[in-house]
Amino acid sequence: MKKLLVFTLLAGAISYTSFGQSTFSEFTDNPSSFTLSSDKNTLQIGGRISFYGEDRFLKSGYNNLDHNGFVIKDIDLDLLGKTASKFSYELHYSLIDIIAAANTENIYVPNNPGYDNSGIKAAYIQYDGFKIKIKVGIDKIPFSQSNLQHEHETPFWSHPTLTGGTLFSRRDIGLTLSTRLLKDKINLYAGMYSGMGENFIEYGQDQSGKFEYAGRAEFCYPSKMGYNEIDEENSPIVHFRVAGNVRYEDKIGPEGTGLNGMYQDAVGTYNTRLFDGYRTIYGGDAIIKYRGISATFEDDIMNMRPQSQSDPLFNGTPYSVNKGKVTAGGWIADLNYNWQKIRTVFSAGYEYTNVNDLIPGHMEYLTLAIAYKVNSFNSCAKLEYYIPTQEDLGSDPLKWTGQIRLGYQIVF
Amino acid sequence: MFKTPRFFLVRILMKCVFFAVSIFLCSWKKDNTPHCKFKFESFKSLGKIPEPSDIVYDKDSKHFFIVSDHGILFECDLSGKIIRRASEEGMDFEGVEVTDSFVYVSDEKPRKVYKFRKNDLSLVRTYNMTWGGASNKAFESITYNVTKKCFILVSQAPVVIIEYNDDFKEIDRHSFDGARDMSGSRWYNGDMYLLSNLDETIFKCDPITYAIKEYYKIDVLNPEGIAFDADGNVSVTSDDLRRIYFFKKIPTIKQ
Repeated sequence: MKKLLVFTLLAGAISYTSFGQSTFSEFTDNPSSFTLSSDKNTLQIGGRISFYGEDRFLKSGYNNLDHNGFVIKDIDLDLLGKTASKFSYELHYSLIDIIAAANTENIYVPNNPGYDNSGIKAAYIQYDGFKIKIKVGIDKIPFSQSNLQHEHETPFWSHPTLTGGTLFSRRDIGLTLSTRLLKDKINLYAGMYSGMGENFIEYGQDQSGKFEYAGRAEFCYPSKMGYNEIDEENSPIVHFRVAGNVRYEDKIGPEGTGLNGMYQDAVGTYNTRLFDGYRTIYGGDAIIKYRGISATFEDDIMNMRPQSQSDPLFNGTPYSVNKGKVTAGGWIADLNYNWQKIRTVFSAGYEYTNVNDLIPGHMEYLTLAIAYKVNSFNSCAKLEYYIPTQEDLGSDPLKWTGQIRLGYQIVF
Repeated sequence: MFKTPRFFLVRILMKCVFFAVSIFLCSWKKDNTPHCKFKFESFKSLGKIPEPSDIVYDKDSKHFFIVSDHGILFECDLSGKIIRRASEEGMDFEGVEVTDSFVYVSDEKPRKVYKFRKNDLSLVRTYNMTWGGASNKAFESITYNVTKKCFILVSQAPVVIIEYNDDFKEIDRHSFDGARDMSGSRWYNGDMYLLSNLDETIFKCDPITYAIKEYYKIDVLNPEGIAFDADGNVSVTSDDLRRIYFFKKIPTIKQ
C-alpha cells in the first residue's frame, strides 16, 4: 500500500498540466459501432469478426495439414462507456478465446497456439477528471509500440513473434497512470501489474506477491499520435513519435520460492511468458508518417536472471557459461504505403528475434501484405504472405517454408 | 489423379485473389469534379485552447467563437487570443454556429446542442439529439443553412447531413459519400462548405442537395473547423496542432 501511495504521488508530481485521452482501446475511434446515451452517460457497443483461410507450404516429409484450412481470427465484443462523473470503462472480450479455453481446459487458443489467452482483452475503470488519468483493471501494458498498435488496422493478420505475446505478456491487471504534457507532445505512462499477464484470470496472483512495474515515455511531433500504424490521414507534414519503455519484475517469493513451474501451461513456447526470477525488459520504438507512407521500428531486449540453475531457460549450460543470466530480444521494422485513391494498403515487415541467447540460432521473418479497404479497415480484405528467411533450429524448428493467409474482417 | 484438400484450398485462394484484383481495378475511378489545391497563407497557435475543434466568425463583434473538445466555448480575437469563455461547460464540444443573438454549440458524445446568449455567454437552452453511431463519430459540426432556413448537424462517420428546424426537430437527412469523414461545415454566400478531416479537403456543395460542386485539397493536419470572415477569407482550425490556419478566399477554378 505504501508503494502504491508513493507511486501515485510520484506520477502526480511529474504532471501539472494535461487533460486528454490516453487509452489503448481498439474501439475509441471506430466509426461503425453503436452508442446508447442517457443524458451525459454514454455506452458504445462495438466488436470485430474476422476469418481467414491459411495455407502453409510444408517441407517434404511432412503431411500434417492442420494449418491448411479456415481459421477464426476474431469474434470480439466491446462495451465502452463514459459516465457523467468523468469515469470511463471498457469491457473487451474475445468470445472465441473464452469458448475455446472452456472447451479445452485452457490449453488451446486457436489463433495463437502457445499463448494462453484469458479471453478478456480489456476490463477496466478509468477516472478522467484529474490531469493524470487513473486506470485500474485489465488492459494492455504500456510497453512496446507494436503491442499497443491495433493489429486489425494494418494489412497483417498477427503481431510479430517478438511482441505477439509469446515472449512476454501483452495484457495484465493493475494500475496505470497516464498524462500528457507540452500540448500533448509528451505522453507518459507508469503502472504496476500482477506480473501474471493474461494468466491472471486462471491463476490469480502468484505466491511472490510482488508486482511488475512498467513505464513508457513518448515524444510526438508536431502533434499527438494514436496507435495506428497506417497513415490513413495521408499526413501533409512529417509526423513522428519516438518512445522508450521498460518493465521490471522480481518473482522470487518468500523463502526463495517463485513460480517454480507451478503454471506449466502458462510459460509459453519459449518458457518466458511467466518467469521465475528477476527480469528487466527494455526497448525503444519509433514511427514516422508522411503522405500515406509510414515506417516503424522497434527494438526490445529482455534480461532474465532465473532463480534456479535448473531452469530450462539455461538450456543445461553450467554457471561458468551462463553467469546466471539469459537474454532474449530482437527488432522489427515495417514499411507501409496507404494508396487511398484505390483504397489499398501495401505493407512489408521484417523481424529478427532471438528467443534465448543460450540456445544457438535465431529467427528472421519477412511478411508481405495487402489490405483492400471496402470501407476503411472496418470492412476489409487482407492478404498476407509470411516467409521465414532464417529458421531458428534450436528454439523453434519449422515444418514449413511459407504461409499465405487471405481473409476478411468486419469491425462494428 | 487424386486431388488433396490443399489443392482445392489453393484453387479457392487463387479465385479470391482474382476477385480481389477485380475489385481493385474497378475501384479506380476517374475524378471529374473540379478541384485544386488551396494553400494557407499563415497560421497562429491556439496553445491556450485545448484540442480546438470548430470555429465560426461573428460579423457583429468581428471575433471568432471557438469550441474545444474539453467542452469549453471561447470567444477570441482574429489572432486567436482568448477574450472570454462560457462558464457553462460540456463534455466534448465539436461544432459552433453564431446567429444574431445566440451561439449554438454541439456536444458530440452526449448528443446535445446548447444555445448560449451571445452577449454574456449564458446558457439559454439545451436540446437533446439522437445519433446511434459511434460515441466519438457523431456531430462534429453545426451550421445554419440560410438557403433552406434550417440548422444542419453533420455526423463525422458515416457522414450524414441532418436538417433541423429552429427547435431542433429533425426535418430531413442526407447521406454523403464524397468523403471518408466530415469534421466541419459552414454555409457561406449561397454555398454549403464541408470540411473532411481524413481527406484534408474542403467541399463546396449545393446547399439544397449537398451535391459536391468543387473541392479544394488543403495541407492541414487534422482540420476540424472552418470559418469565413467578412471578406470571405477562410480560417481552419487544427485540433492536433492547436493552430488556426489563415487562407485567402476560396479559389476560382477555371473549367
